[in-house]
Amino acid sequence: MALIGLTTGAVYALVALGYTLVYGILQLINFAHGDVFALSGLFATTMIGGAVFGLTDTSTTLGVVGGLTATFVIAAVFGAAVNSSIEFVAYRRLRSAPRLAVLITAVGMSFIVQNISLAIYDVNARSIPPLISGHTVFNISGVVYTWDAFFVVLVTAPVLVLLTWLVKSTRQGKAMRATSQDPEAAAIMGINVNRTISFTFALAGALAGIGATLYLVEFNIRYDTGFTLGLIAFTAAVLGGIGNLTGAVLGAILIGMIQAFNEGLSWNAPGTAWTKSIVFGILIAILVFRPEGLLGERTPEGA
Amino acid sequence: MSTTAGNGQVILKLDGVHTFYGTIEALKGITLEVHEGEVVTLIGANGAGKSTTLRSINGLNTPREGSIVFQGKNITRRPPHEIVQMGISQSPEGRRLFPHMTVLENLEMGAFQRKDRSGIREDLDRVYGLFPRLAERKGQRGGTLSGGEQQMCAIGRALMARPKLLMLDEPSMGLAPIFVEKIFEIIGEINSQGTTILLVEQNALMALDAAQRGYVLETGKVALTDDAKRLRENEQVRKTYLGEE
Repeated sequence: MALIGLTTGAVYALVALGYTLVYGILQLINFAHGDVFALSGLFATTMIGGAVFGLTDTSTTLGVVGGLTATFVIAAVFGAAVNSSIEFVAYRRLRSAPRLAVLITAVGMSFIVQNISLAIYDVNARSIPPLISGHTVFNISGVVYTWDAFFVVLVTAPVLVLLTWLVKSTRQGKAMRATSQDPEAAAIMGINVNRTISFTFALAGALAGIGATLYLVEFNIRYDTGFTLGLIAFTAAVLGGIGNLTGAVLGAILIGMIQAFNEGLSWNAPGTAWTKSIVFGILIAILVFRPEGLLGERTPEGA
Repeated sequence: MSTTAGNGQVILKLDGVHTFYGTIEALKGITLEVHEGEVVTLIGANGAGKSTTLRSINGLNTPREGSIVFQGKNITRRPPHEIVQMGISQSPEGRRLFPHMTVLENLEMGAFQRKDRSGIREDLDRVYGLFPRLAERKGQRGGTLSGGEQQMCAIGRALMARPKLLMLDEPSMGLAPIFVEKIFEIIGEINSQGTTILLVEQNALMALDAAQRGYVLETGKVALTDDAKRLRENEQVRKTYLGEE
């Protein structure tokens, strides 16, 4: 059960990181993020499906590996492009505007991106063929863990390692950390703050693109999938402490586990119908009792 | 109001600079110049426009009118990161260290645009030489330093850019007298090593001691400019800024 939670949590983690990265640098909740996730996922179905790579469950292993790898890269680039365009078009000119104005704009961008998805991909859910085998990795007393679920974890782990390295050790990562701690001080160190912000949005978008492709391995995506998933990932980010990368991953895995245990069969849990209520109940509880999250630091604002 | 120019050429020139915060006109036509090798100080009361002058130069607040020329290049509307590249660095008001970075990381951020590893290494040693305390605390986070140590770190960080012009905003603010003396001693040392300095200070006495020339700002305008020595003897300055009767 914990492992299934880990799989769901991995996808949430990739999306939650996008919220937390952007929040860390602009103190902005990018409400459009979930919709960037959905649009990137829909775009990925086009890639994998007939039109481009034409992968099916009968494709050769090499074809599947190659096609999927390419899809991950393309979906990441696509998500990055969409997300940084949103920043450039909508948020950049509001740099010195009151936060509320930016927040409302973010909600507006969410609707815009969602409707773009709707216009291009209509209301039907899209999926990809079962490329990764659903065979069992192991089976412990009736709890089955399958390869496709394991695959999600297998892809997420190196992405997280890479992200950590990028933020901790590269020049661009240092610029991001400096900008999030004090943008003006960063500017007079010679950091191009606007470019750093663009990069952060691109990075967040790329994670959403990878997350969406992984999501497709197990589930369908349609134009409004990003709304709920985005809110859950946002909850995960808040649970871990918004602005804190490790926190986002921890929060996401916790939420994934809570969901898995709740929806699991072995004991008297409330069940699937209650998952969202539980998750958002957690969100409210954190905001009331520990707004800085599990790993966040208390700030004078208390947020 | 005659000024004796320093030996060097004009490195920085502001001409009729007007800068606004929203609709508030903080600078109402500032004209000043800094010569190579000098220490020039801007003194004046709170809200006179000292910090805004520095923020106009470094690109954080773009002037609405007037021009700022550095080494013959017009930098009036350049973004901050380009201005750093041209050779102006700053220790800002309130020090503004990166609170979650260590002293060493903060100093390295100062050299963000540089690629000459050996030069950065040299400058790090130079900063540790000027401020041995920073070497002792290099692994400590910026936010946990004392006020005096933070100030040292902020000045050190600005030096790591190897600037042609170093701007210091209120380096003595909130420091114990012993630290103030020490900081000014080091400002003199940095200048004697060849860096031109533009110094903003509320502590006019110390500032005029350290500088060759000074500008007195009043409500966004230059009220007075002269040799530092002569400003110290100016009756008006003594009454208003040196607290003498």
